[in-house]
Amino acid sequence: MITRRDFAALAAATTVAATVAARTIRAEAAVNSTFVSGWGLPTNLDPHQIFDVPMQTVMLNVYDNLYRYENDPPQIVPWLAESHTVSADGLTWEFKLRPNIKFHDGSDLTAADVVYSFHRVLGLHLAPAAAFLPILKPENVTAPDKLTVRFVLSKPYAPFFAAIPIVSIVNPRVIEPHAQNGDWGKSWLASNDAGSGAYRIVPATYRPLELLDLEMFDTHFMGWEDNKSPVRKIAMRPTAETSTRVLALLNGSMDWTDTNLPPDQVEKINASKIAHVDRNTVMRTFIIRMNNTKPPFNNLNARLAFAHCFDYMGFINDILGGYATRDPLPMPDTLWGSPKDVKGYAYDTAKAKDYMAKAIAEGAPMKRPVEIHVQSENDQSVQSAQLFQSNLAEIGINAKVVGDTWSNLISNAVKPETAPDMWVHWVSTYFVDPENWVGQMYDSQFHGTWKASAYYKNAEVDALLRQARETLKQEDRAPLYEKAIRQIVADSPDIWVYNSMQLQGTNNRVQGRRFCTVGQGCEMRWISLSA
Amino acid sequence: MILGFVLRRCALAIPSLLGLLILVFVLIHAVPSDPAAIMAGDAATPQQIETLRHEYGFDQPLWRQFITYAGKAVRLDFGESAFSHRPVALDIAQRLPATLELTFAAMLLSILIGVPLGVFAALRHDQWPDFFLRIVSVLGVAVAAFWVAIMLQLFFAMRLGWLPLRGELSVGVAAPPAVTGSVLLDSLLSLRLDAFRDAFAHLILPAVTLSLGGIASIVRFTRAGVLDTLQQDFVTYERAMGYRRQRLVWRYVLRNSVTATVTQIGLLFGGMIAGGVVVEAIYDWPGIGSYTVNAILTGDHQVMLAVTLLIGVVYAALNILTDVVHGLIDPRLVEQR
Repeated sequence: MITRRDFAALAAATTVAATVAARTIRAEAAVNSTFVSGWGLPTNLDPHQIFDVPMQTVMLNVYDNLYRYENDPPQIVPWLAESHTVSADGLTWEFKLRPNIKFHDGSDLTAADVVYSFHRVLGLHLAPAAAFLPILKPENVTAPDKLTVRFVLSKPYAPFFAAIPIVSIVNPRVIEPHAQNGDWGKSWLASNDAGSGAYRIVPATYRPLELLDLEMFDTHFMGWEDNKSPVRKIAMRPTAETSTRVLALLNGSMDWTDTNLPPDQVEKINASKIAHVDRNTVMRTFIIRMNNTKPPFNNLNARLAFAHCFDYMGFINDILGGYATRDPLPMPDTLWGSPKDVKGYAYDTAKAKDYMAKAIAEGAPMKRPVEIHVQSENDQSVQSAQLFQSNLAEIGINAKVVGDTWSNLISNAVKPETAPDMWVHWVSTYFVDPENWVGQMYDSQFHGTWKASAYYKNAEVDALLRQARETLKQEDRAPLYEKAIRQIVADSPDIWVYNSMQLQGTNNRVQGRRFCTVGQGCEMRWISLSA
Repeated sequence: MILGFVLRRCALAIPSLLGLLILVFVLIHAVPSDPAAIMAGDAATPQQIETLRHEYGFDQPLWRQFITYAGKAVRLDFGESAFSHRPVALDIAQRLPATLELTFAAMLLSILIGVPLGVFAALRHDQWPDFFLRIVSVLGVAVAAFWVAIMLQLFFAMRLGWLPLRGELSVGVAAPPAVTGSVLLDSLLSLRLDAFRDAFAHLILPAVTLSLGGIASIVRFTRAGVLDTLQQDFVTYERAMGYRRQRLVWRYVLRNSVTATVTQIGLLFGGMIAGGVVVEAIYDWPGIGSYTVNAILTGDHQVMLAVTLLIGVVYAALNILTDVVHGLIDPRLVEQR
């Protein structure tokens, strides 16, 4: 049994130890040469398996691509490739690589590696493949010589060039020894590095979704002349809680937060001496999706009633603190192909009631309780639904807010019978082309993907979008998209709310960042840390 | 006698765990979520999703999926995470030491503070220290852990700057070679005092936060037990025999009072492992709590199943351990069972 004396001794020892620790440890200030990022990690590290916003950190820092988006507004610029040509029929594309590029293991990056990378993407059949599967067969990606890669498309596909940055070039010499049963080494690459990018992964530090260290690759092919004091090490330490994230930024132990900082934290951070909030308008649209196959959403007047019943400006100004721009179209209105004369819909309960009456006259069950599914862990998603619920109640529509997870939402969205009545989400920029938004959301050939879960179908729109996809020149494509968008807005399949303003808490010592909406400014090679 | 007792209890735990596995397996599959669609990711086509569904056997009948899973689980093969593509057993082995480290620290604090305070409250029954401790213990159970955590962070990490805000180790401190997986123990084993100090400092706030509910609970149970024992005839007899008060209380009264407290400690330990999710999330503690939350958010069935089974095993083991401790305190209990 522990005696009173033992207990006293133990308590004293504990107190001494705590005091020593407390005296030794002061605020965990960031280390000078190390950049501490609070940005979320992708679910694994293989850029050919996962293709989402968090993966951009890995894609843009650990890997390289033939062309890359840079700057704001985004421009597609040569990267591993120094130039490219395209045949007059738009089917044959040739990319010329820069010479003397090295992977992290020191081996040469050649056209054969680019061919392997595209074969791997197509072979794995995972998300990044979606842009290429309909128009590219593996045997049609070839390497005529060491520095030339040739793609022969099955049919003209204008967004092909815009989608080229999606594919990271990987090193087959480090992957293939780990491949099993034709799995393209996906288990191994999920935790390891096969890149040539400006930073390399330190595999021993990796814990999925929690920890990852990257270290500078001194011999990166772009050199470091444009950044005399680059970040030597990146410590990725995602933080689950907003409060911890903000406190870590304010005590100097984090260099930047993720990009979804709640608007109510902006003033607090800007008032500090150590950090500020970077604001950047990004091409990331906020949408309330309606399932057009389910009554009453299969009725145009019903959809118009819903579209006139969301307090757009109230949401943007009061809930988001004005940190967003109203965008009434199904894609960012700053992108080419957006018709400038289309005003979209505004919050107007009188009009909503008129449309509701028409819908009821046409037999639409407007009194049926409808569900708005949200991502429970995302405050903004919940707040928008609660506001909408309140707005709908004003015209007598009974809406229920249903908490859900992203995983459930996207898995339910792939069938019209399981897709929710309505659900709230964003569409980010994966490649800068109208195809990324209207093309994949409203061409009925994409039914079965969560992006197209409105299950909207209009033969004229289908024809326009398909024609735009196969037309090569931007100036010829733009009118097609404008016409398609006019029709889509008239059909009101979804409710388009705003284009995002990215809010990211950033330590004042972070210098030289180059923002681009693709990747949301996570490319680290330009950044240095001031003293 | 004890060994036989333990073996009997272990045998009885097996059907419980099997029942738990069946229940969780059915519940997870009842949720309208398609792991293939989630794995396929953004912009995947229906064909891509179908290919994955077949590849991972999600298109098999549920009973067949269960038999396959249970057969592997018996061999401690919990499959591969659908997302990290790493063995789930490896991911758990990497995180469990951090959770155990935090839980043991919180439990130690709970016992070291809760038991003496409970005894003290009982000895000062219906006096102001008792009233005060009763209010504090109710608050300890009632106050939300996330609120306490944020207050502690604001005061000790932000205002005073004495303790780190989050994580298990500072970015600038190299991790010690992994032996046990616990950074605290490994830094001691490798004589890395810098890492030990740093890891110890990182442990303080999460452990204190997690221990608050435990302290409150143990104070209440110990107080009630001691009060009850103090009414026993043997205590009156020993007092009359002139035993020193301190010896009487700490050696005889406490021993006869802690049966309920020991049961409570067993339950608390399991509760801390399962319920430490909030504390782990706020302090970015790299344990199984945050791992489980991520698995739920991403719909990673294999991880959810394995973690639930693990928590079930922990509870079963703690129940057995609690019974053993009861037996050591009062051997009559083992004989009765």
